[in-house]
Amino acid sequence: MLGYQNNILRINLTKKEAKTEPLRMDWAEKYIGSKGLSIKYLYEELKPGIDPLSPENKLIFMTGPLTGTSVPCSGKLAIAGKSPATGTICDCSIGGHSALKIKYAGYDAVILEGKLDKPGYLFIENDKITFEDAAELWGKGSHEAEAMLIDKYGHDYSVISIGPAGETLCTMACINSDYYRQAGRGGMGAVMGSKNLKAVVVNGTGGVKIPNIKEAVKRIAEIEKEDTLQEDNTFVYDGGTTAFLEACQDGGILPKLNFSDTTDEDWTKYNGEVLLESLEGKRGCGSCGLGCGNFLKMGDVVCEGPEYESISVAGPNAGNSDPVAIVKANQVADDMGLDTISAGDTIIWAMEMTEKGIHDFGVRFGEMDKYIEYLKLIARKEGIGAELALGVKKLSEKYGGTDFAMQVKGLEYPQYEPRGSWGMSLAYAVSDRGACHMRAYAPNEEVFAASIPPYTPEGKGEMVFNLAQWNAVKFSLCICDFWGTLNMELMAELMTLATGKEWTAADMAEVGTRVINIARAFNQREGFTAKDDTAPKRLFNEALKNGPGAGQKIPEEAFEDMKQQYYKVLGWDENGMLPESLLATL
Amino acid sequence: MSDANVVFTLFFVLRQEHLERMNGTMKRLKFSKEKCIGCQLCAQVCSAIHEGMYIPSKARIGIETYYDRGGSLKYKDSYCTLCGICFKNCPTGAISKDDRIKVDYEACTGCGVCAGKCPKKVIKIIEGKAYICDTCDGDPMCVKVCPQGALRFE
Repeated sequence: MLGYQNNILRINLTKKEAKTEPLRMDWAEKYIGSKGLSIKYLYEELKPGIDPLSPENKLIFMTGPLTGTSVPCSGKLAIAGKSPATGTICDCSIGGHSALKIKYAGYDAVILEGKLDKPGYLFIENDKITFEDAAELWGKGSHEAEAMLIDKYGHDYSVISIGPAGETLCTMACINSDYYRQAGRGGMGAVMGSKNLKAVVVNGTGGVKIPNIKEAVKRIAEIEKEDTLQEDNTFVYDGGTTAFLEACQDGGILPKLNFSDTTDEDWTKYNGEVLLESLEGKRGCGSCGLGCGNFLKMGDVVCEGPEYESISVAGPNAGNSDPVAIVKANQVADDMGLDTISAGDTIIWAMEMTEKGIHDFGVRFGEMDKYIEYLKLIARKEGIGAELALGVKKLSEKYGGTDFAMQVKGLEYPQYEPRGSWGMSLAYAVSDRGACHMRAYAPNEEVFAASIPPYTPEGKGEMVFNLAQWNAVKFSLCICDFWGTLNMELMAELMTLATGKEWTAADMAEVGTRVINIARAFNQREGFTAKDDTAPKRLFNEALKNGPGAGQKIPEEAFEDMKQQYYKVLGWDENGMLPESLLATL
Repeated sequence: MSDANVVFTLFFVLRQEHLERMNGTMKRLKFSKEKCIGCQLCAQVCSAIHEGMYIPSKARIGIETYYDRGGSLKYKDSYCTLCGICFKNCPTGAISKDDRIKVDYEACTGCGVCAGKCPKKVIKIIEGKAYICDTCDGDPMCVKVCPQGALRFE
């Protein structure tokens, strides 16, 4: 099939060897690229039960057949490995320009194996691959490290790097690129750090071929105008994800004080209107049509973002309404190479623990100087940070507070309160990498579009499956989440244009289901079952006090009912396991 | 070049510019950096149309944004303004200009004078030939895909 380079770059860091091999096209036909294909490679190549921070783990940078083409929003890169935070499969989707550079360098994917004997970075320019020393970069913030590498190589190069959190193997460590874009969740930065790999510098000057390109370019341009650039999507240009703050406040799913309640009467003090007063410019990823990035300057604080998640966790969820502190926390977390969600959730859990007198972590709601200081301590595992770096799950097992430990499988909760959107508790529970909002975005149906009642288990298994299937296809094409109107028919047309092979909407849906299944199969092989598809007890026991969902809590039976509905739609058994018949289709 | 040739070339250039000013219809690329999101779709489609593959390194436009050490947003705005300096300086006469630039690839020696003189640094010499924007024969694809209207042709 065209669209692919039919070429994988496999790097053995232990031996400092670089080899190329053909892409497994039979796998590509079943899993397309990016999310699905990287999981397939890991499913086939990783031994079950390995330590995610050992040289046996692999880190895959995977593009897709649309990467490097003019299909809008197709510039994202999947970064996947076994997660040290959860022990599950983990694939992230990172923005910036690195995906295009890898593809133009001639590769569909870069597979990183083994471990460097000392800190280094990898240089890739077309077929030139070198292993470089990173002694000067090690210990530096991700931003400074990227700046030093760009100073050396120039702006044509993309840098994928980790901060101190990745170096200290903190399981909340993210991978950064283009300064402000992250593969945020699941500790992929720690996997990179465990390989002594500070950065990958990449440039490619080659091309990507698709069939009948002149006609295809014109058709893709039409799709861009008619579909991508319609109002349902372009709101992300106007305000970025700051728009979600108002939607979540109005819908009663904006979490407050470590998810003890929802909605915040002070939300207008740090909303998009306030933040965008400091807007310096807009920036998108390579091949982007929408340009969600808000580049802000607030005094000496500079940041692209903050995105909704980072606003919520360092805002109402931390008892804070100072926008400068929110932006500063985002900037520090990015530079330290920390996932703003997991690190933030850990600090706000520690705040609640301290407030309740269960354990004194020395930080209370609203203390943002400490919040920001703690981010640095967590990243470097210094002082109290060495303890907090364990994350909410392990901390609560050690100190108590499990009822309000907002996590699933060791991955901390994103910023959508499920008691106001019951399906979200299911989406978090069954997501392939622990609590994640990018696998099935339930609030879209239950709250924003209000297409289904939010405070009921009815129909939620099918709803979450449909959303998860759609995202599984989108992320396997490596199209950005923000192209929200992109339906299966259009995805099939884009695949047909790029590969020259005829794809139908049904084919795409089938891929989506297969991707959900193989991710589950990976986790099943690691020992995960229905008992790991959990929700924090807080959702069952404490009713919301404020907002449209006041009085709501989720009955535990309703939660279990939703899980069983979901398993049934997918053909899994009551224990959430894939039967042999499904395993055989992978 | 002989003195007579210089005089002739100068006369021709001035006459051409006079004609363009008189009819006032010549469209050019215009770029508004405040609208640019740095997606580089312009370079992708430019290369797709001219080279038969997405290969931005051979594109005849080079508009990018980047963060300068993460602290400020910078713009690179290489695009053809149809200023004609390449045409005026081409030593072999391979470049001609009416409402667009044309390169006679038989005559182009890839000497690089045009690229050196181009004030927008948009001309590339690739495999011994000058790559110059031809406005897609008056209907530039880069403008059609520019998602936020940063590029216009007017």
